Amino acid sequence: MQKTTVVVIGGGATGVGILRDLCMRGVDAILLEQQDLAYGTSSRYHGLLHSGGRYAVKDAEAGKECIEENTILRKIGRHCVEQTEGFFARTHLDDEAFEGKWVEACAKVGIPTIPISVEEALRLEPNLSPKIKSVYRVPDAAIDGFRMVWQNVASARKYGGRVLTYTTVVGIEHSNNQVVGIKVRNTLTGEVSNIACDFIVSAAGSWAGEIAALAGINVNVQPDRGTLIAFNHRITSRIVNRLRPASDGDIFVPHGSITILGTTSASVNKPDDTVPNAKEVVELLNIGEALFEDIRSYRMLRAFAGTRPLYSADPNATGRGASRGFVTLDHAHDGLKGFVSVVGGKFTTYRLMAEKVTDLVCGYLNVKTPCRTAVENLVEDTSPALMAKARLYFPAYGAELAASRLGSEGLEKVIARIQEKPEKRQLLCECENVTMAEVEEAAADSTSYMISDVRRKTRMGMGTCQGAFCTFRSVGAVDANGLSWGKDTNVLFKEFLQGRWKGIRPILWGNVMREMELTRGIYEGTLNINGAIDNEGI
Amino acid sequence: MREYDIVVIGGGLAGLMAAAAATKRGKKVTLLSLGSGTLTIGGGIVDVMGYLEGGIPAATPSAGLLQVGAGHPYKKIGRPAIEESIRFFKEICEQEGYSYIGNLDKTQWIPTAAGTLKPTCLVPRTMDTTELKKADKVTVLGFDALKDFYPSLIAKNFKKIPAFAQKEYEVVMIDPKLSEGRDVTALDVARWLDTEEGLASCIEKMRNVIDSGSVVIIPPILGTRPSYAVKEKLEKALGCHFVETASVPPSITGLRLRTMLVRYLKKNGVRIVEQAIVAKSIVEDGKCVAVITEGVDRERTYYAKSFILANGGFYGGGLLAEPGKVIEPIFNLPVEAPTDHELWANYSLFSSEAQPFAKLGLDVDEKMRPLDANGKVLLNNVFVAGRNLRGYDFSFEKSGNGVAIASGYQAAMSV
Ligand SMILES: Cc1cc2nc3c(=O)[nH]c(=O)nc-3n(C[C@H](O)[C@H](O)[C@H](O)COP(=O)(O)OP(=O)(O)OC[C@H]3O[C@@H](n4cnc5c(N)ncnc54)[C@H](O)[C@@H]3O)c2cc1C
Ligand SMILES: Cc1cc2nc3c(=O)[nH]c(=O)nc-3n(C[C@H](O)[C@H](O)[C@H](O)COP(=O)(O)OP(=O)(O)OC[C@H]3O[C@@H](n4cnc5c(N)ncnc54)[C@H](O)[C@@H]3O)c2cc1C
Repeated sequence: MQKTTVVVIGGGATGVGILRDLCMRGVDAILLEQQDLAYGTSSRYHGLLHSGGRYAVKDAEAGKECIEENTILRKIGRHCVEQTEGFFARTHLDDEAFEGKWVEACAKVGIPTIPISVEEALRLEPNLSPKIKSVYRVPDAAIDGFRMVWQNVASARKYGGRVLTYTTVVGIEHSNNQVVGIKVRNTLTGEVSNIACDFIVSAAGSWAGEIAALAGINVNVQPDRGTLIAFNHRITSRIVNRLRPASDGDIFVPHGSITILGTTSASVNKPDDTVPNAKEVVELLNIGEALFEDIRSYRMLRAFAGTRPLYSADPNATGRGASRGFVTLDHAHDGLKGFVSVVGGKFTTYRLMAEKVTDLVCGYLNVKTPCRTAVENLVEDTSPALMAKARLYFPAYGAELAASRLGSEGLEKVIARIQEKPEKRQLLCECENVTMAEVEEAAADSTSYMISDVRRKTRMGMGTCQGAFCTFRSVGAVDANGLSWGKDTNVLFKEFLQGRWKGIRPILWGNVMREMELTRGIYEGTLNINGAIDNEGI
Repeated sequence: MREYDIVVIGGGLAGLMAAAAATKRGKKVTLLSLGSGTLTIGGGIVDVMGYLEGGIPAATPSAGLLQVGAGHPYKKIGRPAIEESIRFFKEICEQEGYSYIGNLDKTQWIPTAAGTLKPTCLVPRTMDTTELKKADKVTVLGFDALKDFYPSLIAKNFKKIPAFAQKEYEVVMIDPKLSEGRDVTALDVARWLDTEEGLASCIEKMRNVIDSGSVVIIPPILGTRPSYAVKEKLEKALGCHFVETASVPPSITGLRLRTMLVRYLKKNGVRIVEQAIVAKSIVEDGKCVAVITEGVDRERTYYAKSFILANGGFYGGGLLAEPGKVIEPIFNLPVEAPTDHELWANYSLFSSEAQPFAKLGLDVDEKMRPLDANGKVLLNNVFVAGRNLRGYDFSFEKSGNGVAIASGYQAAMSV
């Protein structure tokens, strides 16, 4: 039986942040994730490193947490953050009276807002609607969820942290009101086993209620689905927020070569009810038009959805350390020692949440080492020598991308693959510039079990063609290297394309429809990966 | 004002076949087209009917034709015309020295680059599977740096197909040395084999890895031209049988077929206007008088007695989808589609059901003339052919080029 001091449940930002913090303080810990890392809300989100402007009026505390963490993450996670800055723009449809309140509230919690003229704003962002009334600059930034999660894990591993993906927590073992272990099921094989531990931290986001229920404890988390649209280009080079009380379809966030618009909000029953629909997409386009008039002519890539973990406190509960943004629930108060849940919050405040939880756990474990996650960078910068070497094998733009995607160690390994077989430098994914060597490297990682896992690590299949060309190649390359996880290649094709389909189905019109005719023509029409074979007729 | 007998809009397989059939009837034809159509992407393999609803393989293309539902284009066209169209297509190929093999009474199961078999009807001789079926030992040959072909994947998957499981497979690679750090496609390899030096060099390299008498599965690379010269020279030099697989774009088999058909049309006096975008139509009293093209320089008006609308579906540009509706841009013909967009598509991309959206298109009568929702003919002298027709999901049932040929033929015969 495996043994550890602390088990962390959930491979989202919060969970990996806790793992890193615990390991940096010298606590032995294992993180368990039911699917792949960042499978949950930490990749199904907007990717806005909030300045806090969105919360300042309604929830000053949350606004303050955001601006503080924003400043920290820009530094420690600089390879995951794109320093775009942001606009708050009031459209002709928005209440003028709110503007003053907002400026005042931001000033109170220390969020700098700089007014600029509409002409200047339009010069900087020419796609913005000329009908906008006023604009402020704020220190928003774009943050890559996958990468942030990965780099936290990479850092935690350096301090001895362990991660088990495709491992679902199915039971909490306790004796004499004290946690003694955790029961897990291998998500892929169904095999059940136990891990002995002294402490369990649930960072399961929207699933937190389900985890607590395993110990018969009630944690009231209501999953709330938000749908987002990814566009195929940078509609704006800055984040653009609508200057009005926070509502649907308010924010455009540019990421690399794409832009994300969101979000909607709908209460759902299940945390993984993340299937977006066409109605939500049309709604978002209707709202988004106020900021970008030509929105309907922009090429969409896909729609996706995540669930917010909305927490409502049990009014009868006592003794809970809560900030308004998030809560840490020490279940010792519910009669079970060694079990803590952390719920609510935002991606932007994941580190702070992790720090608070880790402080609590370390208190119990009598560990005195202070938290250093705010001062130590997640990954070391790639050395100029390594960058120079990378440029020999990647196209110029590709080298930068690969370096920030892979980090130094990964980059080194990918270069070694190319040195061994130079044709492995060819791009399997032309949309996102992903080489064959990189796909192989990601596939060989111990946390990969299918092509979607490779996608999350490399961004392959996330560009315009949404897998039309690279699915075949990546399955082929992975299979040729004996890395296909013992799976039938037709199963691999279907798993990956079905994943892409989920995001395409709600936007199936215009060029997306055209692309789909191509994808189906290739995989179903030509390669017949789905059709039954009539063995008698051959 | 010049008036043609027929203006064909669209130079995909449906338009090319319509033009061919029309010239055979002695008509004066102009073909207006933008780009080379789906052929050079999708390929020159002619599927007619592979799978029935529920995903059940049709015993033969013929048997499949008998079982299609009322809304299917094949039902409108009717069996005699389908048979004639296939005969006509094969005649052209024969005449042009690039014959196709197969017929409606036999499903041909051909190897694909995914290591599956797919049911089809007509294929070029480069895809003849006669020797493959007989062979006990099969070689799968790949090319270094060709990222769209993985021979070991094919060999492994064939082992799982009962009819192919008893065979022994050997995987070999050759390095065409074409890459120079660049990505290589099947088109690059095919062009290499088009040249005398390339062919000689390829034979040399192949000789080192394959034995005489072998049956060799390869990507579609046996030259870009509609001729079997490359195949024959290679086979003669090495004493082997080569079988090309159905593969991903760009499609060499489609390129060959298109080149051949365009050559045939030009020989038969069809005027082909490339890069012509038909933007508008002039309609008077239920008849189309002319269509207007948009060019880089200016608009042009093409008058004709009849028009064949063969500008493809969502891929070709003949149909445009918007949330909850479909637009036919040239004549603004009605397309029935669910206004609730959720009903357009299944939750599973691949299943035993056709996709509703793939069946969206123009409704026509037996003569291929467009109909309104009440079944009334909307335009008397406009005939519709190809992917813009309603009622079939070619990917699912394996029928794309078959419908293109049959409907193109029928449209021309109805004029
Ligand atoms: C549409 C949308 C947009 C958003 N935009 C932003 C934004 O722009 N900026 C921002 O700061 N915040 C944003 N948020 C909020 C932010 O995304 C979330 O607060 C944050 O990602 C939550 O991270 P987490 O690690 O707590 O949860 P998650 O990322 O959901 O991680 C929980 C993990 O637990 C795993 N798990 C569940 N049950 C089990 C089990 N039984 N065993 C093992 N593992 C299990 C899940 O698979 C999941 O991966 C947005 C949220 C939504 C919904
Ligand atoms: C990836 C893929 C693989 C396939 N594989 C097979 C297969 O193996 N076997 C098979 O039988 N079928 C296959 N198909 C299906 C088959 O290719 C199509 O169904 C068939 O070719 C459609 O022919 P078409 O002439 O109707 O349309 P298209 O080939 O799309 O031709 C339409 C033409 O009209 C032009 N056009 C559009 N608008 C205008 C305008 N306004 N003015 C002028 N010109 C215009 C377009 O540019 C195009 O050239 C495949 C399809 C795809 C996409």
